[in-house]
Amino acid sequence: RPLFCASVLDHVTLHVAQLAEIKQQTTSSELSAFCCLFVRCCKTKRPLVMQAPIILLKEGTDTSQGKPQIISNINACEVVVDAVSSTLGPRGLDKLIVDGHGKTTISNDGATIMKLLDIVHPAAKTLVDISLSQDAEVGDGTTSVVLLAGEILKCCKTFVEDNVHPQILVRGLRKVALLSIARIKEIAVHVKREDVKEMDDLLKKCAATALSSKVIARQKDFFSQMVVDAVRHLDELLPLNMIGIKKVKGGSLEESRLIDGVGFKKTFSYAGFEMQRKKYTQPKIALLNIELELKAEKENAELRIDNVEEYQKVVDAEWAILYDKLEKIVDSGAKVVLSKLPIGDVATQYFADRDVFCAGRVPDDDLRRTIQACGGAIQTSVSSLSDTVLGTCQLFQEEQIGGDRFNIFTGCPEAKTCTIILRGGAEQFIEETERSLHDAIMIVRRTIKNDAIVAGGGAIEMELSKYLRDYSKTVAGKEQLIIAAVAEAMEVIPRQLCDNAGFDSMNILNRLRQKHAEGGKWFGVDIMNEDVADNFDACVWEPAMVKINAITGATEAAALILSVDETIKNPKSGANDPPPALPGRGRGRPM
Amino acid sequence: MALPIPRTGLATMLKDGARHFHGLEEAVYRNINACKELSVVTRSAYGPNGMNKMVINHLEKLFVTKDTGTVIKELEVEHPAAKMMVMATQMMEQEVGDGTNFVMVLSGALISNAEELLKMGLSPSEVAEGYELACEKALTILPDLVCHTLSDLRSKEEVVRALRTSLASKQYGHEDFLASLLADACISILPEDPRSFNVDNVRVAKILGSGVLATTVMNGMVFKRVVEGTIDRATDAKIAVYSCPFDSTATETKGTVLLKTASELKTFSKGEEDLIERQVNALSELGVKVVVSGGKVGEMALHFLNQYKIMVVRLLSKFDLRRLCRAVGATALPKMVPPSQEEMGHCDVVEVQEIGGTNVILFTQKAGDSRIATIVVRGSTDNIMDDIERTVDDGINTFKCLTKDGRFVPGAGATEIELARQLASYGETCPGMEQYAIKKFAESLEALPRALAENSGVKAMEVVSKLYTSHQAGDQNSGFDIEGEGAAVKDVAAAGIWDLYLAKMWGLKLATNAAATVLRVDQIIMAKAAGGPKPQDNPVVRDDE
Repeated sequence: RPLFCASVLDHVTLHVAQLAEIKQQTTSSELSAFCCLFVRCCKTKRPLVMQAPIILLKEGTDTSQGKPQIISNINACEVVVDAVSSTLGPRGLDKLIVDGHGKTTISNDGATIMKLLDIVHPAAKTLVDISLSQDAEVGDGTTSVVLLAGEILKCCKTFVEDNVHPQILVRGLRKVALLSIARIKEIAVHVKREDVKEMDDLLKKCAATALSSKVIARQKDFFSQMVVDAVRHLDELLPLNMIGIKKVKGGSLEESRLIDGVGFKKTFSYAGFEMQRKKYTQPKIALLNIELELKAEKENAELRIDNVEEYQKVVDAEWAILYDKLEKIVDSGAKVVLSKLPIGDVATQYFADRDVFCAGRVPDDDLRRTIQACGGAIQTSVSSLSDTVLGTCQLFQEEQIGGDRFNIFTGCPEAKTCTIILRGGAEQFIEETERSLHDAIMIVRRTIKNDAIVAGGGAIEMELSKYLRDYSKTVAGKEQLIIAAVAEAMEVIPRQLCDNAGFDSMNILNRLRQKHAEGGKWFGVDIMNEDVADNFDACVWEPAMVKINAITGATEAAALILSVDETIKNPKSGANDPPPALPGRGRGRPM
Repeated sequence: MALPIPRTGLATMLKDGARHFHGLEEAVYRNINACKELSVVTRSAYGPNGMNKMVINHLEKLFVTKDTGTVIKELEVEHPAAKMMVMATQMMEQEVGDGTNFVMVLSGALISNAEELLKMGLSPSEVAEGYELACEKALTILPDLVCHTLSDLRSKEEVVRALRTSLASKQYGHEDFLASLLADACISILPEDPRSFNVDNVRVAKILGSGVLATTVMNGMVFKRVVEGTIDRATDAKIAVYSCPFDSTATETKGTVLLKTASELKTFSKGEEDLIERQVNALSELGVKVVVSGGKVGEMALHFLNQYKIMVVRLLSKFDLRRLCRAVGATALPKMVPPSQEEMGHCDVVEVQEIGGTNVILFTQKAGDSRIATIVVRGSTDNIMDDIERTVDDGINTFKCLTKDGRFVPGAGATEIELARQLASYGETCPGMEQYAIKKFAESLEALPRALAENSGVKAMEVVSKLYTSHQAGDQNSGFDIEGEGAAVKDVAAAGIWDLYLAKMWGLKLATNAAATVLRVDQIIMAKAAGGPKPQDNPVVRDDE
């Protein structure tokens, strides 16, 4: 080998004179190493005797395996958790996120933040997923679930480092999930569904708890009442999209209002609109999907005319078709005409003359909500306008709210829908308010379907922690350690609540542990007084379902991350990456 | 100026850029190494305690799974010899639908053990022949090991026990829960003749939220869509299915409507309107309550459908449409005509429901009526649900195998050790060089209990020796006890850990085939990849830091 290298080198010296010296100084083995190095640097041929590496996978494929992989995944998750942990609780802080398009979002909602973070790490992505899943399933508790998963992973990290088999951890976690859920179901308090007043009270408290950690915490009583009223308007399916939320800049939060009916922004209008009356009592409402404008009836139709008289007739006919439609609408007795498609100026003026209000280009979901509220059906043809397809309401009027004009329908007979009009200073602020209300609405919806509640403010977590710790002492084997570790992980919620509020978390947690050991199962952090309190009495209530789903999600995600010991990443295809270089030339022959 | 290196041999005959390797050193050992490496990747995923793999494929999609079939598929193995193993697992996937890792681990072990034999001086073909001989013998022994036969395909209890083992190796901890779901689903749609059981009739719908334990089975179909019109519920409904858009028919040929007079213009759209109303009215008179369309539903048509209180569902996938037809017993109409009585389907309840924030349309049949069952998978992340879906697929395939052959052999390494024991003694009766190969084959079978033990964090040697002792003592059902402390063994047949007889049979065959094929190769010739490598004349710039 050295001999051969020497011969190569010999050859190479012709190019690089300095090498001759080195060649004489070095021993043959060094020489060979040098030769290889040189050869590689100069991009000439590889050493002939060196075997090309075995190429199993596509070039650029990245693989990593084993325990370090698990640890590194856990570390990645911890970083993500750090990003959202400070938003938890009433004293949590908001995050300002500027996305790729320069759009600014200020949010306290875990799911929103996680979504905007745009995480690419495959393991950490799991946390985003559970946060979104919590959002879809219950709507709130999105920060807690991430925090919980992160803390469980952190506790498991020491076990992984100590060579406990990850599958044992996974089994332990699954057991913990089952135990915790059983315990929550056992101690949750049920409220009588039949008692409407008590139920409303419960719903209000749940909504208030959800809102207390949001940007509108100070107005939580105002908004929780509004949210409960809004949800109470819906039918038994509780469709979320039947609560319209409209945002109007300006004014103060307290000027926000709930409209028992439908409201939407004035649509684009043509000349003549201002002549129309803006207030009707008990009008009939026609909902259309027709373009009330002079236009071709059919795109693929063509006219062939052979005399001048016929030409005028055709022009008249086109007008007649439009007037015919308008006449039918007015004849039906409708006083308010809404259409998905534009209503032109001829039609607008025609309606204005006949004391009818009209609005074209009404957004689809607003129109659907109007049907839910006022009855009637969307008509694509005017030929069968009868009373059955016309809606009605007590009062229709146009109202000025902030800088916008709103069409508002109130006193609707069906009333399966409602609209919340939000007021507030900055745009981001209203956006965040909308998200907070969404969370609260979801909480109320879930509570109606599932009326079990538990105390919030870290109370239920402390109770679970105590329960699991007691339970762990009854099992032998490694599971004991894992259950105890998760018991400790559960404490992260009250701890983070204290930390975010600037309390001494050690102190408060110790007192909480003591209270729970004495059997005070609803004791949690009292944020207002830097103390512990019975949060059930303090009316900090949360639906049990939020907690059940959070624990399920967190343990499932932790189990998933722990059970992965290898990541294999294929190079992205499609992009203009260079074609894979050919590894070595067979037998080292020149190309 | 380069010193001319004389070109000799095959290389001179090939195009520039083609590569070739031959001989023991260059081809066989390299192949063996490649296969070894590949089997190491999947080996740690074997068994209930196996670990998941996170695979990010070239489209940046993330998979978290230990289903070897999926891992291998997404890995894009390039090495030609390792590809042989990949093909073997794909065959397994098609033939049995499960047990892919068995093939992978066994063929990996066979190939790496062959290396020792080759170094001893055996020729590759001798090893390959010996392996094939051993495999034949193993297949004759296998029927004697059968420990259980499924008697009744319609008994839920029996089926649950049969599916458990296959599911446990994918979703350890959820196996009982999933087995019971799957058994419900499979039995409910099992046709009169079990042999015509169609895997496609058990559908999976994934809906984000809640946890795995909230997964349920539905009789009928689930679509993640919302209805087109305003009607969102129909009971005891007749269903008309159209594969065409539900709209006024347009001609294929491009045409223009020619109007001559003003009155024609006036009546034109009126006529079209009437036409659609007549069609919808005809449907309504037939008692149709639900219209399913494979294409767009026209605004005008929708208007009349709403008016006649007919629910409208639009399905984008042709396959979904076909399945729905099967589920409700309808015939899809390619044209806008009213269906005949036979062409109409029937469904007990069609409704929109919200499951965890997702709106879905459910077509539910009364129990026993449906020909399609859907498993609604819940989970807190997409990856978990994807993995459950794959597990469910494996479970359904296991059920399909049951319809062909209800025999089981003990799992948890019991069958492998028993085979190994008997093969080893058989090997000693063979006079020729194949004796070594047969013995190595027996040794390779140990790789499976070994992998099980290693993945559970138990000393593999100890487990294997304990297994041999108890098998020697005549207990042929004794396997590795995964739940026990340390290297424990137990009677796995009694514990209900059964593997499909078919899966073991095909696994042995395919793994042996793959190993033998790899060994028989002594020369690799690779043509220059199309497009060729980029000219490497621009040296890499390294001084940019």
